[in-house]
Amino acid sequence: MARQLRLMETFVELADSLIEDFDVIDLLQRLSTRCVELLDVSAAGILLIDPHGDLHAVAASDENTRLLELFSLQHDQGPCVDAYRSGKGRVNIDLTDPDTTEPWARFAVAARESGYRVTHALPLRVRDRIVGALNLFTTTETYLSEEETALAQAMADIATIAVLQQRTLNDHQNENAQLQNALNTRIVIEQAKGILAERWYTGVDQAFTGLRAYARAHQLRITDLSHAVIDGRLDTMLIPRPAGVPAAPPVHAPEAASVLDRDGWPTDSITPRPQPYHITHRKPRSGSPREER
Amino acid sequence: MITDPLAAVLTRLHLGQPQDLAAVCAQALGVDGVALSLTVAGRGPEAVWSFSQASAVVEDLQFTLGQGPGPDSARTGAMLTAGDLLADTERWPDLRAAIAEMKLPVRALYCFPLSLGAINVGVLTLARTRPGALLPWQFSDAQALAAALTAWYLGGNGAGLRPEPDSTPPLELNRAEVHQATGMLSVQLGVPLDQALLRLRAHAYAHTRPLRDVAADIVGRRLRLSPDPDTQSAPDHREE
Repeated sequence: MARQLRLMETFVELADSLIEDFDVIDLLQRLSTRCVELLDVSAAGILLIDPHGDLHAVAASDENTRLLELFSLQHDQGPCVDAYRSGKGRVNIDLTDPDTTEPWARFAVAARESGYRVTHALPLRVRDRIVGALNLFTTTETYLSEEETALAQAMADIATIAVLQQRTLNDHQNENAQLQNALNTRIVIEQAKGILAERWYTGVDQAFTGLRAYARAHQLRITDLSHAVIDGRLDTMLIPRPAGVPAAPPVHAPEAASVLDRDGWPTDSITPRPQPYHITHRKPRSGSPREER
Repeated sequence: MITDPLAAVLTRLHLGQPQDLAAVCAQALGVDGVALSLTVAGRGPEAVWSFSQASAVVEDLQFTLGQGPGPDSARTGAMLTAGDLLADTERWPDLRAAIAEMKLPVRALYCFPLSLGAINVGVLTLARTRPGALLPWQFSDAQALAAALTAWYLGGNGAGLRPEPDSTPPLELNRAEVHQATGMLSVQLGVPLDQALLRLRAHAYAHTRPLRDVAADIVGRRLRLSPDPDTQSAPDHREE
């Protein structure tokens, strides 16, 4: 019963997001997180196809480099490539079974090293075309039931709709243009992660955590925020460092930087500063079921 | 994924034979005109090459008026299509008026940005004398061509920065760690993203290492590049 309630909440939340001028990467990330909750899996990610026919991860339930690397290994091999090529989903793949994993041993080894036992891959379908895949992992030997498999495919279908529903400047709602836009948006976020990681002298994972937390706290689209970071419209000192990122100076920086940041702000400062006025703030989502973890 | 004629075009590009590229592209893509405009050194996009006189004039008009799918695409990094310029009364009224007045045989424009994340190097525009949408194969071929040209010009070609043909396939460019390293380098070197990526690729090229390996070293802080590329005497490689 509790699960049905969560399921309903999830669909309401996602449907609600689709009506707004939503950020595709942010929505796909929420969807990945919900997959983990609803399907009781350990990790989820969404991959999209590029014009060359290669898969790229654009969102994940847990944005750590190790998991992203696991998705990125599947640009040319792995269960997601199979799902993309065949158009058929495949669930309950035992990663410890050498016969099963033989066609993509490199991926299977990496997945096992990350602690995963079982994986599932479901295609993102639009009519007769496949535009990507939803990839799920579990660390325990648990399998999806038939009902759960149907739910997983429903989540994959929502992901497809989200990608194809983005509001772009296009008069034609061209699928390729939408796909390309989602992929390019992800690149913008990666570039912004690099900038923040260097400014904070931290890892890219923590940079992403800080970026997302700021975007959510200020009702910004993570894409807009990333653009603002990149072209310098936003003073990155405004973005609080996530917990665990020391306000320590970069090792290579001169002594002075132990007190002041390169922008001249105290490195430990979290004093509220004027809001950036260049970025359009979204209106708060009404009745959002709950806070993102 | 791409058609054979376009594969031949891309091979020519890789071999560093971009002569008559516009005409060859137009033929491979099955359109009446092709124009490429590039953003060079902070200036607005400027036409670099084009095929068909009409296409060249429309390209010039767009960037002179600052109006049209080309400038919009270059500015936003989004693909834009104008399936029927004459019927489209809402957008770009001045461009439409100019095309009508000059009786230019251009009825539809399809613009593909040359972009990599927040880096925009220009825009590829296809033109047709008849209205309508591109066929799926034309669309995916044009996308592939735009990706290849992006990789080409981000290697410094065309801008006169580096004469040798760039061999980095577009796929290699499209890696998370490459984009992260680009962002990090732009801070380390105090330069825009496109120049940071240029440095990254130049380093990989000079050390004959895969781009993604160099990028991974930057992200993993095993490698820092010195701010001035001309100070080659200074060690470019520092272990920490």
